[in-house]
Amino acid sequence: MDIVTGLGQGFAVALQPINLLYCFIGVFIGTLVGVLPGIGPVSAMSLLLPVTLSGTPESGIIMMAGIYYGSMYGGSTTSVLVNIPGEAASVVTCIDGHAMAKQGRAGPALGIAALGSFAAGTFALVALMLVAPALARVAIAFGPPEYFSLMVLGLTVLSFLSQGAMAKSLLMAAVGIILGLIGIDQITAQPRLTFDRLELLDGVGLVPIVMGLFGVAEILSNLEQELKREVIKARIGGLWPSMQDWAQSKWAIVRGTLLGFFLGILPGGGAVIASFASYAIEKKISKTPERFGHGAIEGVAAPEAANNAAAGGAFIPLMTLGIPPNVVMALLLGAFIIHGLQPGPLLMIQRPDVFWGIVASMYIGNVMLLVLNMPLIGMWVQVLKLPYSILFPLILMFCIVGVFASGNASFDVLLMVVFGVLGYLMRKFGYEPAPLVLAFVLGPMLENNLRKSLILSHGDFQIFIARPISAVCLLLAVAALAAPLLPALARRRATIAASET
Amino acid sequence: MLRNSEFWGGLFWLLIGGFIVWAGRDMGLGRLNEPGPGFAFYWIGLLMSGLALAVIAQALVSGGPSFAALWAGTRWVKVTIVIALLLAYALGFEAIGFIPATLALLLVLMWFVDPVDWRLALLVAVIATFGVWAVLTKWLKIQLPAGLLENILR
Repeated sequence: MDIVTGLGQGFAVALQPINLLYCFIGVFIGTLVGVLPGIGPVSAMSLLLPVTLSGTPESGIIMMAGIYYGSMYGGSTTSVLVNIPGEAASVVTCIDGHAMAKQGRAGPALGIAALGSFAAGTFALVALMLVAPALARVAIAFGPPEYFSLMVLGLTVLSFLSQGAMAKSLLMAAVGIILGLIGIDQITAQPRLTFDRLELLDGVGLVPIVMGLFGVAEILSNLEQELKREVIKARIGGLWPSMQDWAQSKWAIVRGTLLGFFLGILPGGGAVIASFASYAIEKKISKTPERFGHGAIEGVAAPEAANNAAAGGAFIPLMTLGIPPNVVMALLLGAFIIHGLQPGPLLMIQRPDVFWGIVASMYIGNVMLLVLNMPLIGMWVQVLKLPYSILFPLILMFCIVGVFASGNASFDVLLMVVFGVLGYLMRKFGYEPAPLVLAFVLGPMLENNLRKSLILSHGDFQIFIARPISAVCLLLAVAALAAPLLPALARRRATIAASET
Repeated sequence: MLRNSEFWGGLFWLLIGGFIVWAGRDMGLGRLNEPGPGFAFYWIGLLMSGLALAVIAQALVSGGPSFAALWAGTRWVKVTIVIALLLAYALGFEAIGFIPATLALLLVLMWFVDPVDWRLALLVAVIATFGVWAVLTKWLKIQLPAGLLENILR
């Protein structure tokens, strides 16, 4: 099936009224969680995962994807107006976005963020459409050793790019794999680490873990500090950027888009890293770097373009290899599996309606977001004025309801609370939850491919280095592990970590 | 060393890693050409133990914040109360029922933990609890525990 035919079929799926509705709900909720500090796309997606079960797989995935890229758009609003990032990928937008708002230029800051996001999101989609089929053809040649090594690379890179000590990130990845392996062994049917609890025979659920580590832990951390939210009171004014704003931003958007897209594809990369890297590049190549931090519009345009392009790029490894490059995609993989679908090279052949339907819905979703974000900014500002004292009990309630609904078991609610406390303590002690969740999802696949590889090779580990793709992945993983030992790279990594905090 | 939170954090994971190694051996390692159910557990447990030792070594060499420093100047009492409330909710909501348990949780959070005007809190708690209950049970057909209201809701 060629791209044009596929896209035609995709639009036929995406333009069905029910899918348009799911897409709208997804981008609307995505924008809302992007706007609201204290709840991110991961929490929102896990919350709504059970809701998607009532519809067709494509409707559910369209909504989940909409939440993700919608939150990238919405995150900029709080960064600009309140100086609190709605989600992690918008942290860097605070710097110049809020400075612009204080100068009475909140409108152009929000406008360029929305338009830059739209341009980057659209580019990422076109690239996804062109790259995915070609990569899927290559991916058919992947065997268990290649998959194993690619997953090892993903976990290593994510640990390398995480904040704080790399040993701690790798430790969390190991904990995630163990959690993912709890339950009945796929090969011998032997229960593993179930402690004679019937609830654990099917394994630990993804939703309680994610809601605990991200939702409940975030609330507990926020409760520790008095959140001071000072919404810009002056009129936001015209949103359309001036000619000078465009002139200053256009190349920043192009650079941010390209960088974000490639960082999004890489295993372990993602929107957060893309936004920081693009900001750093803009500042470095600017003829007037002193403007950065004081309301430079490129400082808003580039990271916003980068995080949206990364959000689009991240779909490529998931859709073509079936391997999620980051936590959000791991959750989306969970959604695919719950619906009985296996993303990977065969998805395009076996279920072209789902693959192309999702791609086409993202075009529609991007247009919806532009329409939502430009005229509805006033409404989002009102949402921001909702006190956290009211917001956090409601978010907790939604977490509880979402977890219970996903498995209809009060044990899952208890599990969520336990992981919430663990996540809170992990933040306190400097342990990152992202490698844990990604490893949790990849754990069963990782073990399965390791065992299959060893069976295939009659117990010879050379199978991992004898096959070129596997060898390259492992080599890159070793390089990522060894990188902190090089003083220059260690300093660079520490700088990124410090700026992220 | 005894006040160093990094040291205790590393020690905690070392114990977990040790337990995973033991559990992996107990499950059966199998052979290299036919790995058993405990194979991955055993090796990942060893990896965890090694990484935990690296964290401990780093804590001993470079030090780390004390437990008191981690919670200094924070509203930790509120956090503790919320954790206790959530645990109580998780353990009791099946018996008490979704509506009474959630209503109570929301009201306690908004009246005592991070107080807002009591009338507003009451309004938000009632609308949110009954709204969510109606959407889930009537629209999405998800069964929520009725608990104490079993006779009224059924």
